[in-house]
Amino acid sequence: MFRKTLLVAGAALGLSACVTSHVEDDRATVTGLGSSESVVIMAKSYHQGNQTESDYVNCIESSLRSGSQGINVVPRQQFVDRLFPWFEPRTVPADTKGLPGLMERPGVKQAIADLGVRYVVWLDGDTERVAEGGSLSCAAGPGGGGCFGFAWWQNDADYEATVWDLRAAEAAGTVTADVSGTSFLPALVVPIPLIARTQTRACKGLANQLRTFIVQ
Amino acid sequence: MPTIPEPRLEKIPVDVAVRIPDQFHNFVHTEDVLGRDKWTIELGNSNANFFNQLFNYMFTSVIILGEDDDPRDYQFDALIEPSIEGFEFSIPNQTQTEAFAVWIRYRMNVYDSVGTRASSWTVNAYGKSQKEGIGGSNALKRAAVLAMRDAAALIVMQMEKVTKIRDLADGPLTPDSAEPETAVADASDQAGDEEPASVIGIFAIGGIDDVP
Repeated sequence: MFRKTLLVAGAALGLSACVTSHVEDDRATVTGLGSSESVVIMAKSYHQGNQTESDYVNCIESSLRSGSQGINVVPRQQFVDRLFPWFEPRTVPADTKGLPGLMERPGVKQAIADLGVRYVVWLDGDTERVAEGGSLSCAAGPGGGGCFGFAWWQNDADYEATVWDLRAAEAAGTVTADVSGTSFLPALVVPIPLIARTQTRACKGLANQLRTFIVQ
Repeated sequence: MPTIPEPRLEKIPVDVAVRIPDQFHNFVHTEDVLGRDKWTIELGNSNANFFNQLFNYMFTSVIILGEDDDPRDYQFDALIEPSIEGFEFSIPNQTQTEAFAVWIRYRMNVYDSVGTRASSWTVNAYGKSQKEGIGGSNALKRAAVLAMRDAAALIVMQMEKVTKIRDLADGPLTPDSAEPETAVADASDQAGDEEPASVIGIFAIGGIDDVP
């Protein structure tokens, strides 16, 4: 029995979760980032039905900051607080047409200059479970317990980052990440999870492309 | 204690008194959801603190009055009396999402210096916060605080336009100019998009004031 379990575990470890990803950008203008300039990462407003997870926004922020090619990222709460009430979920500009007018508001241009923010990146999208199947049952008794069966599920992570250039008051372009991941959970006494890190992959992919998009 | 940042706007040159109701000092909302879960949101002094801060940022001079203070003992151009008319929330089980949402309906009554009501304004505020970890009371509270901040943003941006409070700096309303029961719309139509079907009957999102 123990040998059989080991065989199944070994076979399962030989497998891995399946992830496919597609990341691309669509540039509208020339970009670039000076050493004293920063970006801020914002989730699109939930008043517009957006459901971007806050941990995804955090992941993009930390990924952009990290590494030898990291860029300056202003914490979004600091940005929103300094510009209150102009970047609240209800009041945030719907498009770049409103930016010139917003810059004329008292203190707005100065606050943005003080923070050094050149680009605002708006994140839209989320990660959803789109399919699942299989069956898995577990039981326990005086002599021990175990699980038997096979389950799987598929998550799709679709995100879009829209980049606004505050200095030029125009949209610089978009970066999109579409990632699909299927996770498996085979179990013969011991469940062996093979998890597809769909959202993490979407974060890393989008962040890398976004950094390239902004810096170049 | 949640706070609001200083708004990027010029102060309105009006001397106001603000009467903070007792409910703003110890706000607790309890509700049974589908007869199974009992949820309690304790906002304590948050509303009093919020409005105190907000009006000090918005106006050149602010006097805070308690429920028992007589406004006739004070000098001001306008008296503002906020209150909570409704409080609703939804939890993930109800909406099949990972989010908690809170709706707060405030009533802002504005009086001139002799006690004539100049305006009565409904402010519909909305806040949403994603579930994190087990339980959800923190996420629900965070959604409530975001709703209060949403109200603050609306009030900062629209109060002068909707209530015409600046005019009261020129003196009390004349009988001809008094519009005590004017129906006024707020800008909460966007929040209406988020309203779950279960509470549409309770909140007339769109913000038309009641006309007694």
